Order: sequence, then structure tokens, then C-alpha cells
Amino acid sequence: MNNESTYWIALAHLPKWGYGKINSLIIRFFHNEKISIEEFFNLPESIWSSIYQLDAQDIADLQNAKTELPNNAFLAENLLSQGFELIPLTSPEYSKTLKQNLKTAHSPALLYVKGNKQLLHENTIAIVGSRAAEGISLEFTDNIAKIASKQFKVVVSGFAKGVDKQALDAALKYTGQSIIVLPQGITTFNSGFKTYYKQIVDGDVLVLSTFHPKAVWSTGLAMARNPVIYGLADEIFVAESGDKGGTWSGVIDGLRKGRRIFVRQPEPNENNANNLLIQNGAIPVNLHGAEITNMAYSNQTETLLSANGQLLLNDKINDVIITVLNGSPLSAKDILERSKLDWPESKLKAYLDNMEEIQIIKRGQIKQYTLKESLAKQPTLFG
Amino acid sequence: MLTQLRSGINDPVVPFIANSMKTRQELESKLRETFKLDGFYDDQWETINRILKGERVLLIEKTGFGKSLCFQFPATIFKGITVIFSPLIALMRDQVKKLNGLGISAKCINSEQTQEENTQIIADARQGKVKILYIAPERQENNEWMEATRLMDLSMIVIDEAHCISVWGHDFRPAFRRIINLVKLLPTGLPVLASTATATKKVEADVASQIGGNISILRGNLLRENLNLYVVKVSSVDEKLIWLGKNLDKLPGTGILYTGTRVETEIYSKWFEHLKLSTIGYNAGLDKDSRIAIENGLMNNEWKCIISTNALGMGIDKPDIRFIIHTQIPQSPIHYYQEIGRAGRDGKPAFIILFYNPEDKKLPEAFIEGGRPSIQKYEKVISAIKIELFGEKELMKKTNLKQTQVRVIKSDLIEQRIIREITIGRSKKFEYIINAPLINIKAFEDLRNTKKADLEKMIEYVETPHSRMKFLCNFLGDVSPHQFKNCDNTGLQKIKVIVNEEWKEKLQAFREDYFPTLEVESKGSNIVNGIAAGYYGFSNVGAALHRSKYETKEDFPDFLLTLTLKAFRKKFGKEKFDYVVYVPPTSSGDLVKNFAIKLSHALKFPITHDLIKVRQTREQKVFENGYLKTDNVNGAFSFRQPGLIAGKSVLLIDDIFDSGATLKELGKLFTNFGTVKIAPVVIARTVGGDLV
Repeated sequence: MNNESTYWIALAHLPKWGYGKINSLIIRFFHNEKISIEEFFNLPESIWSSIYQLDAQDIADLQNAKTELPNNAFLAENLLSQGFELIPLTSPEYSKTLKQNLKTAHSPALLYVKGNKQLLHENTIAIVGSRAAEGISLEFTDNIAKIASKQFKVVVSGFAKGVDKQALDAALKYTGQSIIVLPQGITTFNSGFKTYYKQIVDGDVLVLSTFHPKAVWSTGLAMARNPVIYGLADEIFVAESGDKGGTWSGVIDGLRKGRRIFVRQPEPNENNANNLLIQNGAIPVNLHGAEITNMAYSNQTETLLSANGQLLLNDKINDVIITVLNGSPLSAKDILERSKLDWPESKLKAYLDNMEEIQIIKRGQIKQYTLKESLAKQPTLFG
Repeated sequence: MLTQLRSGINDPVVPFIANSMKTRQELESKLRETFKLDGFYDDQWETINRILKGERVLLIEKTGFGKSLCFQFPATIFKGITVIFSPLIALMRDQVKKLNGLGISAKCINSEQTQEENTQIIADARQGKVKILYIAPERQENNEWMEATRLMDLSMIVIDEAHCISVWGHDFRPAFRRIINLVKLLPTGLPVLASTATATKKVEADVASQIGGNISILRGNLLRENLNLYVVKVSSVDEKLIWLGKNLDKLPGTGILYTGTRVETEIYSKWFEHLKLSTIGYNAGLDKDSRIAIENGLMNNEWKCIISTNALGMGIDKPDIRFIIHTQIPQSPIHYYQEIGRAGRDGKPAFIILFYNPEDKKLPEAFIEGGRPSIQKYEKVISAIKIELFGEKELMKKTNLKQTQVRVIKSDLIEQRIIREITIGRSKKFEYIINAPLINIKAFEDLRNTKKADLEKMIEYVETPHSRMKFLCNFLGDVSPHQFKNCDNTGLQKIKVIVNEEWKEKLQAFREDYFPTLEVESKGSNIVNGIAAGYYGFSNVGAALHRSKYETKEDFPDFLLTLTLKAFRKKFGKEKFDYVVYVPPTSSGDLVKNFAIKLSHALKFPITHDLIKVRQTREQKVFENGYLKTDNVNGAFSFRQPGLIAGKSVLLIDDIFDSGATLKELGKLFTNFGTVKIAPVVIARTVGGDLV
């Protein structure tokens, strides 16, 4: 992998290419064509356009990235010599949890890390909350981190003030382990590497960034980092959230994607949006993280779900269709039968046409649908 | 289908170098225009042709072959910049000068230029104003350079002196590690040339496998028929000194005398100076200006001979070095081949003389055997690094190890991937690598055994009754059926040393007139450079001191007083000092005091006993490094009657000078008390103090 770092840096930071576009290209060359990234970059434009269906702008972007490869080589050498490691999407070292949670569309193509990479494969929890949190929220954070550490769960922290920092410090205090997800490029975290040197050497901390290694902190990056925190965690606990800002939008986004998210049930006099999150489908927990079963909340949850439901529903339908299609190609009618969806055929056809996972095959007059090869054959990349 | 398409591409993709010229004819006409040369040799053309296709090449050719042209020419026709990693500053300067003379935009970045100069050159390179950039491999650790590399339009990478990549080579340089890693990361299609004049088959294979990526190896023959090889067997240093004293001026042209150590360099220089021969000493410890002046002087034949450690001459492109003499046997035939290769580049005959006294084996043996600290010291360093991020100085303090030792340990631990060196801001720190392996002692043993075997081979070279050039070529893996007639075993007359009374006396006179300097001057202190009566190891001075201090406990013998007085006269002439002071003892009792009293009588300067210790110090020699030595004496002294020495000059006496930390500390103290001049005089100066 190390020798390919140059190419991965080029691909992962293609300007204006989202993760979804980059990842589907990776799936095509790595899984469909079974070639290395280096071989992919050395293909002539004719093949980029014929086999990979890239348009003129895409090819121009790639050519541009290619001219910068020597420069990336210097950057990569510098990173590796400083003890940073690069984990691309195709690597077995890449976090499966992250892939499962964020899917093709949102998984970062390349992770920059330093520390104990094994932590990416342990059970993980994230404790999130406001930068301004204090008192009971920090106490909650401490409790959850303590319990998590006892259960050998790795605490994922965003290294922001307030809850994030408390979660990290508590995990280490209770001899647990932590993944620090940076809101900046990994080379701009020198003071942190000094502070956590011993913990990194001891294998208790992994520092991770998904951004260009030289990128400095910005609000934009801090926001963009949140999905990675949620994505890396098997469980999410919210200590305190306002009704906007990073925690709020992160949790709402997570709920939309069908994640189970635990929120500390606030005291009656608290001025925060924890209750609002619970009303949106998050699960209330007490100060020690135990689930609170409360009928009033579940009713509200039902109502809000349907209001908010279209997105959640679509994800579920996608899952059903993908499961049904994991075999030979089917017509829309077959799919309706097998999926037991109560839809008119025309609606399903229109829906299928819009699904990015689907490939259409024409058999005479009949349209058949199948999963794009990558998804069907290679469950390892996005299982 | 895909494979068909891919195999259908005939035109190699060379994205980084874009040039339109293709044929040898076209390119040779360009060569005439730019380099004023008629054409390429076939071997040069083969290399250049491969580079133009974006390939990787390892080129092993003897000195004088024209390796530089193999990258300089392609560099001039590529669209971007060519970066040459070279360990040799002198060579950089030399080649840049030549290229600029041809109107080619070449620059070098090195530690001898000011930061502003380097910054400007880096900026120029980034803006595409430089075609050929020479740079030391250490620069890869520099942030400014790393930032610039993100924006440069790069066309080719060259690794000069590529044998430095290999630990099996004669000149392994750790800074090249990062260059190798860089090359591994470079995209296919970017040409890479690694070149060297000296690589055994083992080094060749090592370099090629490290660079990787389908590298082609081009190896020429290494024989040099114009070098006349002699070996002179002697049984003492005196014989070497005497033969050279008698014959140096009789050798043709100008040349270089290589010694084993810096101190030897000094001794030979002083001997020739004593004999009024036109020579000068050179070592890597000299300041930049002196080194450049000597290098220029060498080019202009200003001296008959330059006396140097092997730091001088690598890469200096002087065609007419007529002789190279070694007073000390090198560590291996490859070192030797490298060093003598600097002579006779013009193809005309050159004298190559190696002195050998069986005793001489001890120095390279000591390098090989004592080259590595004990395993406990390695463990000590590892445990320290596991707990905290340390730089070199902090590590020396923490472990009480010498700088040289810390450096050896550090380098080995990096090589074995147990620690890594990282840069935080501007400082370098050592970081423990998670899940690092244990130290592999066997790797050290293997390396040591290889070095021992190489040294044995060097002694075989001395003893061989057959062709010496053939011996060297064989060692380098160049098996040629050629018959050689260029050594004292194959037709040339052997050199014999004849020692007569006249020369013995000359040598004795020199010994009694030669005193080492103590370099202690520093800003803000009124201490001046002092003098010693002799080197601890070179004459009988050290032995006499040792006997008094540790065996008889009796006063230093009178001949030391006589010699010290002579040294004083030589350095300070008839100068008067207001007081004699002496360094109060740690544990050796009154030896220094008594010696100072005698000296004060002889010189007729009053003595003062008021310099005292205000706290107990430990003997300096128990501290392994200069930082701790400085700490040990820092604030340890005081003077009982400050008024006595204000505005006065003092002669400061001690027995042994090692790191100089004590004398410098006293220099500061006396300066603070208003003393206007502090002149140190000691009996012996040691060799090899780590801060010297």
C-alpha cells in the first residue's frame, strides 16, 4: 500500500469530486477490473472514457491530478517519515463500521492516521455534545466513558472543547482507549501529538483525519468531521445538544440514516434540545446511560417518524430491493413480487431508474434490473 | 477486452518530461549547442535514452566516465526541474559553476549558504526559474523545502553517490533513507537516475532493490591503468614521517595525503610546516570559508600537497591530481578505490602510495569493534524514548551518553524501525514506533563481520604478490581478463624507506617544538586560545601524567615542566601575566597546585590560591557528554578576592584538557570579575573529546 500513497492522495482530494463519485470509481477499478490504483492512473484516456465511462471533465480532472503526482510523492514521503499512515478504502485496515454506516456515498476514500490502528476494529462508542456543555452533561460523559472503558469499548472523540474533550480525557483516565477524529489535516496537530505521545506509544490512542494533511482547522472541516465521528461509532450517546450546530445536525443526520442514537434525558429545567432529539427518534437514557422506556416519548416518536419519514423509508426500500436483487437480473414485476412492496409497477420503475446501485439491462422489450457488479460480487468493500 | 486494449498501446506514457526530440542525431546536435561536446559515448547514450523514456537507471561507471552528463543533458531538454540529491557540497558548487558557465540555470541548496540565499533559490525553483537543482539529502527534513516540493514542476530525480544508500557500501548515509522512500513513492514514468563510481555486486544489488520499480543496471569497467600503485611497508610512524619529509617534494605535480584522523592531519601538517614544505591541512571541522579557500587552492595548485582526512576530494573535479598517499590503511578496498579514484582523471600517470605498518590495522579494527555501544545503552535509549518525545540533547542528558554514541544508537534504531525521527516545528525528536520489534543484534554482527572481512581484504591488497589493480577490480565485481602493468608487483620499482641519523634528529627537533592549541575563545568571554605541552597519546606526555596521577601520586616529572614552559613561550612569547591561577582539584590532590607553583617560580609571575570550588563537582571524565560536563562545572567555582583580578591578566593552569568545559566556565567566571585576559596552559590535550 505504501508505494501507492502518492496515487491515493491524488484520488482522494480530487477537487469537486464527492466521496460517492470517488468511491464508485474505486469500486470499478479495484473490484470490477481488479487493477491497482497505479495501473488505473496509467491507463490511456480512451479506456478511462470507454470502460470507466468518465466524461471529458472527469478526465481533465484526473489528468490534472496526474501531473501533480511527483509533488504528492514528496508529500507522501514526508507523511510516512513522520509516522503517519494512509488507509485507503480498499485496505483491510479500513474501519468496517465506518463503511457500513456511511456507505459508498459518504465514506471518506482515504484515512490519515497515527497510533494504534487496531482500534478501528474494536467496538466503539461516541459521546457527543456541545462545546459549551458543563455540569451534568460532563458528568454524564464521564459516566459513559467509564462504562465504555470497562467494557473495552473505544471512545470516539472529535477533540472539541466540552463533551468531546471530556470523553477523551475520561476514557484515558479510566485506562480505556480512544480514537481522536480531527477537524483539520493530520500534519497540523503537533501539539496534540506531543500531549498524547505516551498514550499513542502505549497503543491507547489513534489520531485520525480525513482531510488533506496540510488543511488547517475551519468550521467547515469541523462540520464535515461530524459524520465521521458518528460513522466510526457502533453506539452514539448525546450528552447535550442545542437546536442547531454540529451536534444537532449530526444527530439528525444519523437518525435519518436509521442509526440508534442515545440521548441523555434532560432535567426539567435544562435549556437544551435534548428533548427535541428524543422527539425526533433518539432514545432517552439516564445519567448512567441506561435506556428509559417512556410511553409518552414513543408515541411522539411514531408521529414524528412519519412526518420525517420519507428519507428513512427510502433507505429501507433500497435495502429491500438490494437484497432481492442479489442474484440474477429481474424485471420490475419480479421485484414487486419478491419484495412484497405495495407499489404500482410504474412507481417502482421510476424509483429503480433513480437508484445509483442499479444497472439496467435490456432483454428485447423487457427491462431487467441488476445490481452493479461491484455491489453484488464484492460485499467486502461495502457489505 | 481490457487487456487487448492495454496491450495495444505502443507509445510509452511519459507525462512528466514532455519533449519532442527523439533521435540520437537530433539530440547530439542539441548537445553541441548546449554543452559544446561532439557526441555521446555509446554507454552514455544508452543511459540517456532510457531516461528519456521515463525509466529508472542505476549507473555504475568509473570516475571520469562522464556520469554527470547523463542527467545534465536530459535535464536541459525536460520541461520541468531536475533535482539532484548529492551528499557532496564541494561537488555541488563545482558543477553549478560549470553549468552556469554554459548558460544553464543551475543552483544548489546547502547548509553553507545563508538561509536567505537558500530561500531565494527555493522560490526560484518553485517558479520554474531553475532547470537543475542540487540539494543535500538532509534537506528533505526541511519544512520550507517540503512546502516548495508541493508546487514544483518536477521532471527527474537523480541520486548521486548512490552507494550511500546501502549500509553495505563504504559510506552509508542515513539521510539517504528518506530519498529512497521518496523514490519508491514517485509515479511510474518519472525518470530516476542513481549513479556511483564504486559499488560492489552486493551494494549494486542492495541499491537496485531499494530503488525498485524495474530499475535497469548499467555497469562499466572500473579499471584505471594510469594509476601507478605502490605499497610501502614500514614499522613505525617515524618511517612514514621521514620518507615523506624526504620525498614529498620529489613527487610530480600536486596531490593529496590522506591520514586516518584529524589529529594525524594536524601532526603531518605541522611536520611539513617544520620542514618548510608547501602543504596545508584540511578537515571537515574547518569553517566554510577555510574549506572553500583550500578547495580553490587545490584547484589552482597553490600547495604541493594537501593533508586531509578522507573528507576532502570526493567529487572535486580536478583532472590533474598527480599523487594520492595514504598514511593509514583504509577500511576496505572499496574505500581505497574511491579515494585513489580522485587522482589522474586526465588519464595521465599518477602515483598512488599506501603506507602500511601492521600496527595500523588497529585503528580500523577499533572503528569496527568499538563502533557500537553496548546493548544496555541501546535499551536505555529505547526506554527513554518510550516515555517521552526527546530531541538529541535531551536524550544525551537523560541517558548520560556521548553525542557520538547517541547518534550511532539512533541511527541503528531507525534502521531497525524501532524509532523514527520526526520534525516538530523546527526541532527534531525521536518517536517510538508502536509495535516495534526488539533490537536485532544479529544485524549488527553481520555488518561487523562484513566489515572485518573487508578489512582483511584490504590487508590482502597490501600483501598480494599479484596485480594490485586487478585485485581492486575483482573486489568490485569487475572481472576483466586484462593484463595490468601498473603496480610495484607488475614491473614498477618498489619503494623502500631509509632512515638515517640526520632525519632522526630532524624529527626529534620537531617533536620538541610542536604544541597543540586549545580552542576555547568564545563571544562574551575574555579567555583566549591556549596551548598544551603535547597530545595525551602522541608523545610520552600522556604516559608521564598518568603515572603521577594514578600510580606514584608524586609530582609531575620535571620534563613536563620544561616542555610546558616551552609551549608557553611558543604561544605567548615574552608576554607578562599578573597572576598564575590553577584549577582546584577534584580528587587528584595537589599535583596541579604544585605544578602551578613551580611554573610561577620559573616564569616569575605571582601565584594566587584563591580560585576555589563552591560545590563539589565530579571528575569530568565520568560524564560521557559535553552537555553534562558543562552542567557539572556550571557555577561550581568562585574566587575569594575578586578585587585582586579585576583589570588583570591571568595564566590558567590545568593538567588535562578534554572537552574544554572547565576552562570555558572559568573564563566566564574571571570575565565576570573583570579579568581582561585569561590564557590557559595545560600539560596534555586529549584526542576525540566529543565536542571538540
